[in-house]
Amino acid sequence: MSADNEQQAREQLIDLAAQFYDQFELGEIPHMSVPTRTKNNIEYDEDSNVWVYGDRESTRSANSVKGARKLLKAVYTIEFLAEQLDEDRSSTLRELYYLSESWDNNEAQFNDQDESNSMIEDLEIVSGVTREDFHMRPEESGATIMGPLNLREQTRRGEREIHCQEDVGEGGYQIPNNPDTIEFLDNDADFILAVETGGMRDRLVENGFDEEYNALIVHLKGQPARATRRITKRLHDELDLPVTVFADGDPWSYRIYGSVAYGSIKSAHLSEYLATPEAKYIGIQPADIVEYELPTDPLSDSDINALESELEDPRFQTDYWEEQIELQLEIGKKSEQQSLAARGLDFVTDTYLPERLDEMGIL
Amino acid sequence: MTSFQSTLGEEAGIAEELAESQQAISIAEFFEKNKHMLGFDSGARGLVTAVKEAVDNALDAAEEAGILPDIYVEIEEAGDYYRLIVEDNGPGLTKETLPKVFGKLLYGSRFHAREQSRGQQGIGISAAVLYAQLTSGKPAKITSRTQGASEAEYFELIVDTDDNEPEISVEETTSWDRPHGTRIVLEMEANMRARNQLHDYIKHTAVVNPHARLELREPQEHFKFERATDQLPEETEEIRPHPHGVELGTVMKMLTATDSQTVSGFLQEEFTRVGKKTADSVIDEFRDRHYGREMRWRPPASREDIDLHAAVSNATSNKGADATAAFADAIADAVDDHDRIAHHELLEVVDSAADAVEDDHGTTFGDTVRENAVEAVWLALIDARELEDETEADADAASATDDNPSEPDVSRLVAGLYELADEATSTRKDDEVIHAFAERFAAKFEDAREAEENVRHRLTRTELEAYVDRAADLTEEYDDITFGDTARENVVDAVWGVMSTVPDDPPLVRELNNDRDATSNLVDGMRATDIMAPPTRCLAPITEDLISAGLEKEFDADFYASATRDAEVHGGDPFIVEAGIAYGGDLPAEGSADVMRFANRVPLVYQRGACATTDVVKSIGWRNYGLDQPGGSGLPNGPAVIMVHVASTNVPFTSESKDAVANVPEMEDEIELAIREAARELKSYLNKRRSMQQRRKKQNVLGKILPEMAEKVAEVTGREEPNIDDAIARIMNNVLVERGVEENGDGQAVSVTVENNSSTNESLEITDIVTAEPTGLPDDATVVEMDGEWFIKWAPEVSSNDETALEYEVADGAEFDLDVKGVESEKLTVKQ
Repeated sequence: MSADNEQQAREQLIDLAAQFYDQFELGEIPHMSVPTRTKNNIEYDEDSNVWVYGDRESTRSANSVKGARKLLKAVYTIEFLAEQLDEDRSSTLRELYYLSESWDNNEAQFNDQDESNSMIEDLEIVSGVTREDFHMRPEESGATIMGPLNLREQTRRGEREIHCQEDVGEGGYQIPNNPDTIEFLDNDADFILAVETGGMRDRLVENGFDEEYNALIVHLKGQPARATRRITKRLHDELDLPVTVFADGDPWSYRIYGSVAYGSIKSAHLSEYLATPEAKYIGIQPADIVEYELPTDPLSDSDINALESELEDPRFQTDYWEEQIELQLEIGKKSEQQSLAARGLDFVTDTYLPERLDEMGIL
Repeated sequence: MTSFQSTLGEEAGIAEELAESQQAISIAEFFEKNKHMLGFDSGARGLVTAVKEAVDNALDAAEEAGILPDIYVEIEEAGDYYRLIVEDNGPGLTKETLPKVFGKLLYGSRFHAREQSRGQQGIGISAAVLYAQLTSGKPAKITSRTQGASEAEYFELIVDTDDNEPEISVEETTSWDRPHGTRIVLEMEANMRARNQLHDYIKHTAVVNPHARLELREPQEHFKFERATDQLPEETEEIRPHPHGVELGTVMKMLTATDSQTVSGFLQEEFTRVGKKTADSVIDEFRDRHYGREMRWRPPASREDIDLHAAVSNATSNKGADATAAFADAIADAVDDHDRIAHHELLEVVDSAADAVEDDHGTTFGDTVRENAVEAVWLALIDARELEDETEADADAASATDDNPSEPDVSRLVAGLYELADEATSTRKDDEVIHAFAERFAAKFEDAREAEENVRHRLTRTELEAYVDRAADLTEEYDDITFGDTARENVVDAVWGVMSTVPDDPPLVRELNNDRDATSNLVDGMRATDIMAPPTRCLAPITEDLISAGLEKEFDADFYASATRDAEVHGGDPFIVEAGIAYGGDLPAEGSADVMRFANRVPLVYQRGACATTDVVKSIGWRNYGLDQPGGSGLPNGPAVIMVHVASTNVPFTSESKDAVANVPEMEDEIELAIREAARELKSYLNKRRSMQQRRKKQNVLGKILPEMAEKVAEVTGREEPNIDDAIARIMNNVLVERGVEENGDGQAVSVTVENNSSTNESLEITDIVTAEPTGLPDDATVVEMDGEWFIKWAPEVSSNDETALEYEVADGAEFDLDVKGVESEKLTVKQ
């Protein structure tokens, strides 16, 4: 992250505007093409083991009233982003949406935040610059890290050196929007434990799991934000730490694992930058539900549909996942992480995790 | 009780007494009491009806004489009464006919003619005279001058209602400024409350009679409707009735009246569209109904143990061995050549065999010999014993499985009927059931033969149906299986199909006379035969062009469409339906569309709701055609006029006042098709208009957005604003006409480029007005100088996604002005 990067981001944006300019001059209909961002246009990249966009493209063209409005908005957004980079400011996606209200042209204003979000995604893809480099950030990040790691963060108020156990409260270290501003100094960690729910994270911290096992506990907060996935990948790549994911035992949690490991549909253009294909799934596995006789809920219809569509999803077409998903469909049950409490509050830290980590060859 | 009886006895003459008060009623008297039937139910309506009757008569008279009608209608107040004057330029009436035309009901030239005309019954104008005399007590005053006559006739007359004859009070000659024509003056009790209907009537008459000049002067207003064409409607001819539309009673009446001897002659003489061939088809249909068809059986196959040769030989005696053998051979061979053979066909076979053998052998083969041969072969074919052998036949039927090797297991009739029934019924019925059915079916034929009722197996379709029904009912009863109506019908169709029409001569006309059943069969036969539609020279449709012209004359709209259907028949009378639609322009956009109804060029003003035309208009889904229709049914809303014209030699009206067309299905169908035809044109017009509107809207929005985008792009990139006209023309799929000017030595080189971005080929007419003389023009451009300006005309044709250019040179400092035609303005971008 540097002034160079910003300068480059700015140039890429201006180039995009210049492309429209040239199209006008040549008497062509102004247009831009972006990969179609749907499930059908996601392909597995064998080389990097992550999900990237396929060949299908959608064209935003001034041929129709709708397309022309979209391009007009794109130009206004480009102007705004270029100015923001000039002034070294940043803003949130939501702020962009409200900010468009102040533009002099009614036609260029966004109708809702989905529209402005997808505009930023378009620009990211077409210019090849990430939105962090545009200085756009999501509303809330808030995901945290707790564990034996010392790092240096470049903040707007100067450099800060932080130890993620000693310098933070029980809440842990807050991951910034752009984790590329962080430099890792040193660590005693053996592995990364990414946890889906806040309740489980707190239980692990309370029981001192990070200290006892030298674990970096990353809180995913449901579907993980880009920053969370990015820092996980950096921790894995730069510090050579194995990544494990600990989530509920239901189809939605398997998808959380999927996006950590293989990337998500909306940010497939950044998969190589965000996904950690080596991440492993700890549980709750359907096999655990049987083995530990965990308290369960029955699968709902939408759970069953989700499981069945995961069976068709190439991301889950491994022997391991097919076995687990078919088992779950057979027992017709699902369990939450916290159902482990049925065996006592310390069961998860004393028995379950050590056993699972051992099985996976991490401990 | 007894007292009643005695009373009755005493008044034995009551019937006679009552009979005394029975008396004939004159038609005039009848209508005097039933004025409403003729449209004279109120003063307001009476006036409109009187105008209508007089104008209709005037138009008919003028057209018939080949004169372009010129009609003047005046209504003036005359004390307590209204005076109606109608004047025409028709051929005039002779002194003899005039009083009857105006003073006698049901007197006219039209009633018996199958020809399109406005008036039909000869009631209208005399009813108006009757109404006038009843309400005002004043006679009708009529002036008429025939062409070439030096003076005009003047009559004052009333209708004598007692005997329906004219009663003339004044009869004299007078001078009149018109060279020919008729003028009638009626005074009647009336009011002008129906002014709108009166105006509508006159205006609508003008629409459908674009060849007529009409003038209306009434106390408050004065209209003139000029001619839109000098072309008279085509002259109509009388035609004979069409076989498809006559009723039994009519045919019976025609049979008594005809000079023809034979049915064929009768059909050809008395009906239109019937020649020899059609008459034969009708007679065949008649035979099938009257005599029935004969069942045709298959000749014996070689595997069958039937020896026709032997049968003939045995039946022929005393003719010598050679002749008998030749006779038997000829018959056996001829029968074998048939795929199937009926009794009458067998007769022919035997006759020709007998004739041939007679020639060859000089032996006479008399009727008895021939009959014997026919009987022998026929019985062999239908697998029956001679009638004397009844007991044996019975025994045989009872012991079909007996060990008599010469008897086939199954009778020939059963086998033949099984073959037909099996093909005709669904495969789901198993063979045994069909077989059982065929046996019962065959038994019916057998029974009839044994009873000597129907040896020849001759059946009408109804009888055949009865056979099949009986056999099917029994099969249902004994075999516990359903034998439905469709299966029965299929079997009947199959059997009827192989049966053969008999050659019996049809009865003569005099034999048909008074034979109601036979005549009914003839009428059925006529209806069942395909006959060409009646000729249309008896009809005078307005034609599509003149409908549009008429609408354009009276309505200032944006769009006109019209349709004329081909002639159809109803009740022996041909008819043609026409429809027209006017849309947009000055027509009122509020409320529902106007429906104008016409019959034989006469506007129908009253009883809109009772008219088939209105029903049809309401039943059409107008939303499909781009008109608003609240609730999806009923009259459409919007700026539209829908007109329907029914032309027929006999328009079916709901009543004598001729206000509404009756709901005759054939006619309703045609009305619907005509309206839909015109409506389809309206739809494509509206669609085009809508797409042009959308294009204009798109152009408006893009015309705002794109310059803004261009401005912003220039701002962001820090460059000059780009030129966006080409891009816009391309986006709008527009035709772009662009001028390029370049310095070229002393003068300038000009190029006018046409770029067609649309998906269709475009033909343009481009005029470039230049203030100096252009040189070096290509051959396909022309130049004309006018007052120091040069008009360059160029009409290029540019195919889709192609471009072409006009290049020329002109002196420096010249000014230009481009004018482009041939492309909708929405689709055109011109850059000077």
